[in-house]
Amino acid sequence: MFYRLSGVHHADYISDSRMFKVPADRNLAVFFLIIGVAAPFIIPSLYLNSYMLPWLIWTAAALGLNLVTGWAGQLHLGYAAVMAVGAYSAIHAAKFGVPWEFALIIGGLASSVIGSLFAFAALRVKGLYLALTTLAMQFVMDWVLTHSPAISGGSHASLQSPTLALLGQDITSDAGYYYVAFGWCVLVTIFMLNLKRTGLGRALVAVREKDFAAAILGVNSFYYKILAFATSSFIAGVSGALLVATFFFLAAPEQFSVNVSIQVLAMVIVGGLGSIIGSYFGVALILLVPGLVNGLVAAGSEAIGMQINVETLAHIPNAVYGALIVVILLIEPLGLGKLYGNIREYLMVWPFDQLRK
Amino acid sequence: MKITQHIKVAALTAALATGAAVGSAQAEEPIRFGLCFDLSKSYTFISPQVAQAAQDLAMYANDNGGIEGHPVEMVVRDHGNEPQRGVECYEQLKRDGVFIFNFLSTPVSNAALPRIMKDENILMQSAVGRGDAVDGEVFEWVFPIGPTYWQQAANDVAFIKQQLDGNLSDAKIGFIYLDYPFGQEPIEILKTLAEKEGFELDLYPVPLPGSDQSGAWSKIRRDKPDYVISWLLAGGHVVASKEMRRNGFPIDRYLSVNWMNEVDISNIGEADAKGVLRGTNVAGGQEVPIIKTMLDTYYANGKGSGPEEKVRDVYYNTGMSMYSAAFEAARIAIKENGWPLTPETMKAGYEKLEGYDANGLMAPLTVTGEDHGGGGKTRVEQWDGEQWVPLTDWSAEYLDVVWEVIKESSEKFHVD
Repeated sequence: MFYRLSGVHHADYISDSRMFKVPADRNLAVFFLIIGVAAPFIIPSLYLNSYMLPWLIWTAAALGLNLVTGWAGQLHLGYAAVMAVGAYSAIHAAKFGVPWEFALIIGGLASSVIGSLFAFAALRVKGLYLALTTLAMQFVMDWVLTHSPAISGGSHASLQSPTLALLGQDITSDAGYYYVAFGWCVLVTIFMLNLKRTGLGRALVAVREKDFAAAILGVNSFYYKILAFATSSFIAGVSGALLVATFFFLAAPEQFSVNVSIQVLAMVIVGGLGSIIGSYFGVALILLVPGLVNGLVAAGSEAIGMQINVETLAHIPNAVYGALIVVILLIEPLGLGKLYGNIREYLMVWPFDQLRK
Repeated sequence: MKITQHIKVAALTAALATGAAVGSAQAEEPIRFGLCFDLSKSYTFISPQVAQAAQDLAMYANDNGGIEGHPVEMVVRDHGNEPQRGVECYEQLKRDGVFIFNFLSTPVSNAALPRIMKDENILMQSAVGRGDAVDGEVFEWVFPIGPTYWQQAANDVAFIKQQLDGNLSDAKIGFIYLDYPFGQEPIEILKTLAEKEGFELDLYPVPLPGSDQSGAWSKIRRDKPDYVISWLLAGGHVVASKEMRRNGFPIDRYLSVNWMNEVDISNIGEADAKGVLRGTNVAGGQEVPIIKTMLDTYYANGKGSGPEEKVRDVYYNTGMSMYSAAFEAARIAIKENGWPLTPETMKAGYEKLEGYDANGLMAPLTVTGEDHGGGGKTRVEQWDGEQWVPLTDWSAEYLDVVWEVIKESSEKFHVD
């Protein structure tokens, strides 16, 4: 009923390979796009700049990781390091006087090169071994950042980002930062939506399912793996650069440390491997829920006037949040994206669900 | 006519009532401090003690009439040492009217710094964040009360010079440090001083988290330095003490950074730790008047803001020193410029602190518009098996060298 299928017929291949096969999906996407555009006018600035903005940038980043892990099936534990490469190269380029548009691309390309260089070495191994190799990349990057003041910005290892300017326009307002993040996230999302219906996307899926089977079918799995690494690294690099340019305003090694890599991977897994909408949900859960639960617990304990030790108070949200992840993965091991899929499927034929049987 | 009169009277009473309400609300309007701390991840070895000290001090101030009549409120939140959540906490509390912040975490302070500088709010940055922030001319809104690591290292060298009868020309000083920015920070200043004073400096990097030091200490055994200055944390000291015993290095030549507390001493063993040295800017122990007051007034009746064992920890004193200075600054600000307290008056209040030592709690502070650190004085204390005994008086040495480094670093920072 909500996702009406009546009158929807796909009679040819072009129609069948549309981005949104059910009109309701398209309408929903358009609806959220409009909300996204209108957000600065309807959402209070606190939520806009400290929840929405990081959420969108991290979603873009998570989608990039989803490309290599969810689509191409390559476990990547050094994603934050790739983001760091992009962030640092873009800032150094911008400091050098390169316009931001190009600085961002330079950041993306630098990430791409370093990311795929590592992939060359890494792709001789598979599975857990690959995970460990990418983890090594993370540690190499950590070491480089803490030992080269020229890159990390002096003995305090913090590198200030010049004011972001795009198309000759200095961006300094909350709304401006938001639109940059929003634009990037929309771009990446559109790319990922299209990836699904191209030969590249199908090749990646084939590689993920069984790489030698794909090779037998004529899919050069090594080439596609490298391509997946390079593309996802590009997305990571630009996302990292934007994260610094619109949110932190300075880059520090801790913003791209190993636990951040694990966090992005958690976002992708909790959201659902290979699910685009799932990445949105996963990022929201991993990134925003700890802060929200923290605020709720603090407000709750104040409201009932309970005197709780600050340390205990800090650990309750962590426990709640941990439990939440476990519960979600127990209910639906395929992640939040699948959870949404289940609801959608249920509503598709509701209230006549006997028709499906 | 009559009705209009009635309305007028009613309006007048209402206006008066609102006025009165506003008046009394103003008198009771609190001074709010934002404590966005890492209470669950990396900084848990210090943040609970600091938070507890802040809450105790606020309780004490409120029980004694508040700061110039205004109650103090401590808003404590956890950010788990994640820059993103620290910024979120800052943005939220900022909107709740808090303008005095403390993040007590280097990554989070760094992440929030550009916002603080842009919004012109007060950042209390003692013991964390970038050291060059003591330069008040560049970092106008940042108050890293206490010594920088550079100043602390310089003071350590001055202490060693004093111990070696004022001559360092044929001395050998070792520097053992965690190989990441925290530990690397003093290297530059030590090198400069080595050139100036003519001593030999040997560097011994230790990988994080400092549990593997065997390589460093066997080198130390070969090099035989006169003193070893240590920039290690928590468990690192315990490992170092074991290595010292094994390599026959006397523990009374081990001079630690201020991060060594009662927990570390008891892990080393109270007797085994006898002789160990520590540079510090706060007086340790419970004999300090304000700590004694807290123990007698609150903890004796079970009314403290947390467990009593946390009070018997030098980091509680550290927290007390941060907030004593802040309270004094707020007091001066309200006294001189009246209510409401604003970031501007608070800044001016801080910059009027002169020789303030919170009744023997810490090194006397003199904050000025140029020096937001308060002078950088420290002293060296020695563990005598039961308590910390001060060996020197509060002092800050090699100020010219240290400030040269500070200026060189701070001039690269600018707010767009």
